[in-house]
Amino acid sequence: MDDHAPLEGSGIEEPLDLVRLSLDERIYVKLRGDRELRGKLHAYDGHLNMVLGDVEETITVVDVNEETSEEVIRIVKRNCEMLFVRGDGVILSQESEWKNAPRQRINHSCIKNI
Amino acid sequence: MDGFQIFTTSTSLVESVDKKLLVVLRDGRKLIGILRSFDQFANLVLQDTIERIYVGDTYGDIPRGIFIIRGENVVLLGEIDEDKEDELPLRKVPVDEVLQIQRAEMEAKIKRERERHRLLSEQGFSVDAVEFGELY
Amino acid sequence: MAITGVLVSVDQFLNIKLDNIKVVDEERYPHMLAVKNCFIRGSVVRYVQLPAQSVDTALLQDAARRERQQPAASGRR
Repeated sequence: MDDHAPLEGSGIEEPLDLVRLSLDERIYVKLRGDRELRGKLHAYDGHLNMVLGDVEETITVVDVNEETSEEVIRIVKRNCEMLFVRGDGVILSQESEWKNAPRQRINHSCIKNI
Repeated sequence: MDGFQIFTTSTSLVESVDKKLLVVLRDGRKLIGILRSFDQFANLVLQDTIERIYVGDTYGDIPRGIFIIRGENVVLLGEIDEDKEDELPLRKVPVDEVLQIQRAEMEAKIKRERERHRLLSEQGFSVDAVEFGELY
Repeated sequence: MAITGVLVSVDQFLNIKLDNIKVVDEERYPHMLAVKNCFIRGSVVRYVQLPAQSVDTALLQDAARRERQQPAASGRR
């Protein structure tokens, strides 16, 4: 119980309360479909539907060379001023620029086998 | 709230009843039929339905009849512009032709997807067994 | 598949109706060529790209904060 004391009174009782702390901050969102977003969190709801501003979307695609059958992983970037994201697709979110973390792709491979 | 309610209820499909519609399903099928009934889940009843299979710039039709479609399988419904419909850059061919090509394409795609999933899961992306990329 | 169009309605499931649609990368989706308007089931939507100038971000942030404080009053109305 004592471990939780610092959170008392801060209004943080459940996972989604942490998302509230990211409002108006730039966050990183990992999505299904090999997509990732970085953008400013303007709004969210209990489904983790979100509205993000000034978004950079990163899509990881696999190209196959027809002749050699060689596969190459390619990163596609897209930008969008304002984006509504359906909560369905959200795997996780985190404050992306926390401690000035470099804007690199975050490998959450520990999650993949769950 | 009241203003919003008026806004929200208008997504109903009443205006589309008795019209010829294109329905795209989650498995990628394209159906064309007349909408006779629907409910809040987008469960649909289609009459005089055909399934249209597109390959490149050709398509083939299979007559299917009456469909009751469970809403969760619906991706989208579109009203067909009958003027545009007649001047499409598409050619109708016997259905056996498209079916053959489609089957070959599907097999190739499944092989590709399997390989893609393997590579991406190494990169830390989650892979759903059912997820076969963009079917629609 | 990405579709642009005039948003005419949204409901509690986030089903969307669009008028005057245009499909991005049209050649890949020949079945959409003759379609003028459409109903998209909310459950298949990944994103909705919005014109930034029509979004009041301050209002959205307020609403998001308030919704968390009063979960009883939540739900989309």
